[in-house]
Amino acid sequence: MHPKRFRISALLAAIVTFVVVACSPTPSIQTEELSPTNSSAQKIGYIYVGPQTDMGYNYSMDLGRQYVEANFEGVETTYFDNIPETADVARVMERLIQEDHKIIFATSYGYLDYAIEVGNQYPDVRILHAGGLKTSDTVGTYWADSDDAMYLAGMVAGSVTQTNRLGFIGAFQIPQILRTINAFTLGAQSINPNITTTVVWTGAWLDPAKEAEAANSLIDSDIDVIAGQVDSPLTYSETAEKRGVYVIGKDVDISDRVPQAWLTGASWNWGPMMTQLVEEINAGTWEPTHVRGSLKGGDVVLDPFGAAVSEATKEQVLAEKEAIISGEKVVWEGPLVKQDDTVAVPGGKAMEIDEIETMDYLIKGVIGPAS
Amino acid sequence: MSFGDTVIAVLNGLPVSALRSATPLLFVTLGETLTQRVGIINLGVEGQMLVGAITGFAVTITFGNPWMGLLLGGVAGLVLSSIHAFLCLACGSSQIASGIGVWILGSGLSAFFGRAFVGEKIEQGFRTLDLPRLALVPVLGPLITEMTPVIGIAIILSPLLGLWLYRSPTGLTWRAVGESTTVSRAMGINSLWIQCQGIMAGGFLSGIGGAALSVDYTLTWAEGMTVGRGLVAVGLVIVARWNPYLVMPVALLFGGSEALALRLQAAGAPISPYLMGTLPYLVALVVLVINYGQVRQTGGMPEGLRSVFSHTV
Repeated sequence: MHPKRFRISALLAAIVTFVVVACSPTPSIQTEELSPTNSSAQKIGYIYVGPQTDMGYNYSMDLGRQYVEANFEGVETTYFDNIPETADVARVMERLIQEDHKIIFATSYGYLDYAIEVGNQYPDVRILHAGGLKTSDTVGTYWADSDDAMYLAGMVAGSVTQTNRLGFIGAFQIPQILRTINAFTLGAQSINPNITTTVVWTGAWLDPAKEAEAANSLIDSDIDVIAGQVDSPLTYSETAEKRGVYVIGKDVDISDRVPQAWLTGASWNWGPMMTQLVEEINAGTWEPTHVRGSLKGGDVVLDPFGAAVSEATKEQVLAEKEAIISGEKVVWEGPLVKQDDTVAVPGGKAMEIDEIETMDYLIKGVIGPAS
Repeated sequence: MSFGDTVIAVLNGLPVSALRSATPLLFVTLGETLTQRVGIINLGVEGQMLVGAITGFAVTITFGNPWMGLLLGGVAGLVLSSIHAFLCLACGSSQIASGIGVWILGSGLSAFFGRAFVGEKIEQGFRTLDLPRLALVPVLGPLITEMTPVIGIAIILSPLLGLWLYRSPTGLTWRAVGESTTVSRAMGINSLWIQCQGIMAGGFLSGIGGAALSVDYTLTWAEGMTVGRGLVAVGLVIVARWNPYLVMPVALLFGGSEALALRLQAAGAPISPYLMGTLPYLVALVVLVINYGQVRQTGGMPEGLRSVFSHTV
């Protein structure tokens, strides 16, 4: 190739690269600046594993961010999305810290070790990790227990199903998802003990094509209610709506998108919890602990019921919801029997939080491998 | 369920779900086959797919017409691929580098413009035949009742492009350009223009593949929703030996094993999902290895493609 031509192409490549960098929001940084820019404003950073606008888990976290920003005078938030659970996230945290963010919400499960590593280097920074099982001097965790809401959703699914076969689309076999499946199945079995839940694992937080095909596969094997926990409930819900079966939502209320298929769902409401954590840090009363929200505290919401849910079922489910909130009914209480008929929790014994959070088995009535 | 029931449950809907999950791949792989047949490799297909997916989705929602969505999705892919054409053909830049540039540009653009459409709903998608009675017929029933026009087009397209490439004068011209631009130029063929057409045809089909994914298959838009399917298509071109006729079985094999892995789980087969997730790649690899034994490493590869790797910029 002639040197001159090479120069032209190198120049063009540079221009394209510039355009790419200028246009590419993946991973993107967005600073919601107050006007006029207040340099003394407190800065809070957020890191998401997927797109901010995924209509699912990451969006629920971002709703929390918006809530925090709306609730504090002079707080400025910054978010990075599409940050993988690799050393990349450590770099993003360091960048946030260098830009004077003293509080960071690390919202994905796989960020924990990097958060602890970075936190050890910066003692004046507070990192709040979503759902982790470890803490350090500077890293605390926050999470909300959606099991109660999923139990209630399971009751609804159990009441509506004609085939007594429920389906669940899960991303990875991690405790958070295993317990969601177990709670959902327990709820359904409280209506009819013969109900089973078939699990299909997609092996990815976000892969709409696989989610659609997983839903189709479940529907083809006579399953008439589909629940799931992947990045967003949108795709499998759309497939359920198209194929005329029912759906249980997760993470974000999308009832208006799938009016025929919708039964109910379990949504997050992170705003108040995040606000409280920031308040505690500012007041100096914060301790690096595991903060856990609940249905009772309003951190998890049972979504509105769909048209297919009968009045009797609504009454029954809402009564059970009251019982859970009052403490009369405990979802994680024995007897709990594993898939292979061994007893995981003996009858009458309430489970401890670490027992629940490290759950690595599926209960009897769930079809599909737990590992 | 007994073992027999399980087998029936898995196999009953398998043909249609294999077709369903192969359809986007089929379009994209056919497109990349055409591009590579004129001696150009385009790694930007992933980006073109994404741009096609968001354009198709946005157009379908805005105008309520999925056909228009599909078409304009293709046009969006074509427009993006013209950047690759410009960089490779007019500026002589490295095809690999330019392709990767187009890929990143496409994923960035689609993510940027896609934000406004996340969570939107397609009210009027492609219709399937609504014949509940027919659905009870095993295998054939689901195949007919769940077929959408897009799947139909994909099925017809593969032999059609094969016929065109191997049996028409223009097809011959394209193949000649792919073998050697120097020789074809000496024969009076405007090889640059043919290569440009090859890239744009690939761009159009990959855009349609992306639109098929968002408008017909999943009915959703999500950032980065192709998750590497564009790159898989580039690989499948090699598995299919640059032959449009073979693209159909190869895409079906890949899509089918992806669907099979999910259907086996839905039927309750106690196999690790991680192992099953590797099934499509394993199958493609096995086909490639068997092929290798039969036709040697580069059997079917257009000569012109060699230059992509033999000299760098």
